[in-house]
Amino acid sequence: MMDLATLFFVWGLASLTNATPLILVTLGETLGQRTGVINLGCEGAMLGGACAGFGAAMATGNPWIGMAAGAATGLLFAALHAALVLGARANQLAAGIAVWTLALGLTSYIGRAFVGGKVEALPSLAGTWLTDLPIIGKGLGQLSVATPIAVLLVLAAVWWLERTRTGLSWRVAGESALIATENGMSPTLSRLSAVLVGGCLAGLGGAVLSVDYTQTWANEITKGRGLVAVGLVIVARWNPRLVLPVCLLFGFAETAALRLPAMGVDLSSYVLSALPYAVVLVALVANQITFRPGAAMPADLKRVFQ
Amino acid sequence: MRIDSTARPWPFSAVLLTTALVFFAVAAAFFAAIGQSPLKVMTDLVLFAAGDGFSREETLLKAAPILLCALAAAIPGRLGLISVGAEGQLHLGAIFGTAMVLSMPGAPAMILLPATLMAAACGGAFWGAIPGWLRGRLAVNETITTLVMNYIGVLMVNALVFGPWRDPVNLGWPATARFPDAVDLPVLPGTRLHLGLMLGALLALACALAFSRGIRAERVRILAMNRKVGETFGLSFPRHAVVLMALGGAVAGLAGIGEAIAIQGRLQPGLSLGYGLTGFLVAWLCGHRFLPILLVSILIGGLLAAGDALQLYAKVPASSAVILQGLLFVTVLAVPGLLQRRTA
Repeated sequence: MMDLATLFFVWGLASLTNATPLILVTLGETLGQRTGVINLGCEGAMLGGACAGFGAAMATGNPWIGMAAGAATGLLFAALHAALVLGARANQLAAGIAVWTLALGLTSYIGRAFVGGKVEALPSLAGTWLTDLPIIGKGLGQLSVATPIAVLLVLAAVWWLERTRTGLSWRVAGESALIATENGMSPTLSRLSAVLVGGCLAGLGGAVLSVDYTQTWANEITKGRGLVAVGLVIVARWNPRLVLPVCLLFGFAETAALRLPAMGVDLSSYVLSALPYAVVLVALVANQITFRPGAAMPADLKRVFQ
Repeated sequence: MRIDSTARPWPFSAVLLTTALVFFAVAAAFFAAIGQSPLKVMTDLVLFAAGDGFSREETLLKAAPILLCALAAAIPGRLGLISVGAEGQLHLGAIFGTAMVLSMPGAPAMILLPATLMAAACGGAFWGAIPGWLRGRLAVNETITTLVMNYIGVLMVNALVFGPWRDPVNLGWPATARFPDAVDLPVLPGTRLHLGLMLGALLALACALAFSRGIRAERVRILAMNRKVGETFGLSFPRHAVVLMALGGAVAGLAGIGEAIAIQGRLQPGLSLGYGLTGFLVAWLCGHRFLPILLVSILIGGLLAAGDALQLYAKVPASSAVILQGLLFVTVLAVPGLLQRRTA
């Protein structure tokens, strides 16, 4: 019988591993929404990234090429969303669902060739200096290198939004396109770049999911993680710093769903699989009750939400 | 970002025609890309969708759940809500309806069938009312909640048919016992066209009437146009949100039990072939107008039915139908906006 501290540590690491793809896609969605674009199509970008990333990793035997292919595919789907929203001025929520539908069909068409394929996972942290740390080192060695990369990208996004000039113009575009234009910035350019970067991150998240985490391809492998990400951005109050804890919540629920049966909890695995989604719903509602997110919402997003 | 109001808009018919032409071009390019002759696939699609009596029946059978799911999106859509929850509501409807069938399998059709349909409508309404209430009272975005609740609805069906509802006679196959004959939906004599389709058509007509005239229609219209104005007249947005979402959910719930009864004769996984999302697409295409929805549902039903046939005879993969739906949706969102932009 493990003591409580060990159990907590083991579950925490497992949650972090589960949450890594979600952290990437939620971070990407946060950047887009900060400029005033909501992208439900990040589910499609993630799915596309998972499919293309798996195919590329399978063909080349190199997981890193899979990551690059995933990010590039995510970028393509995000470009489609940007074209619909910024070019044709389509409704943002509908455009996202259109991109998602297209990705559903395309990945299930292309992915037929990948069913049963084998890929090599990304390297783990075993053997790096991290494993020399006292007490936690051994556990950290089990993590994939994707997890620290995701955490570093979160930190980079915080720095980008808060410390750089371009980051400032992104935030201004989200608050008011008018003020951005009056100050010589191009809100459309800001939105375009943020949506494209977000698509890259979603595609990368998808590739991490299929190549590194499950190491298999299956239709609809993302199971709504991209849609969940759109909700979690609200819970994270559009703050990239909060992306980590909020995604860990989902990851923790997934860990519980996977590990509770082994601990003697007699519940259908399907009921347990619904747990992470239920947690997201509860988080959305609790967030709305305790704190009117309207205050933190980028002002230009309100025209989409209301 | 609004469209310059001084720009002369294109006439609706020109926009429609251009959109249709662009879609056909895009679809032809797609067929060419997957190594099929565009002309042959398109003529095959029409033949398999409407070429003979059997395929026309198949088209209408596929149209039934699409029509009901499109209504489920369009009814709250009239209030300006974007509900993508028909998939989950469909599954909840199937669960509630099945519970009724399993609880009194020996009851006569006169009682069992109406009770089952009522239960299914209640199940869907329940699953629709939750996001409606959350939107109305707490301003939680309904698009996100309905999408997340879809996954929960599908998993609940799986939990039941892999668990307590699995019929031991099935030797491990996850499905309930076969439904009794008493619950069979009445069909048009000499065809396979069942009550579900007729119910969908009647509901579409009823909605077209109810949402075009009368005081209730006016209230919904005012609230949709401007919530604040509506509320100064004493109209309650939260109450309308709950009621319309529940009504939409009830309609989707009927689609769920209809599929379980008419297509599978029992509740089992794979109840819906993405009808919720397809229905959303149809509703959006039609601008949440009910009579066009009736027509477009049949067109898309034809596409799906012909897609099944093409998969069998021409080895065109089933996913092509989903890709075409995605291309259609993208075209419909892109073309009108781009046309207006050029004139602006």
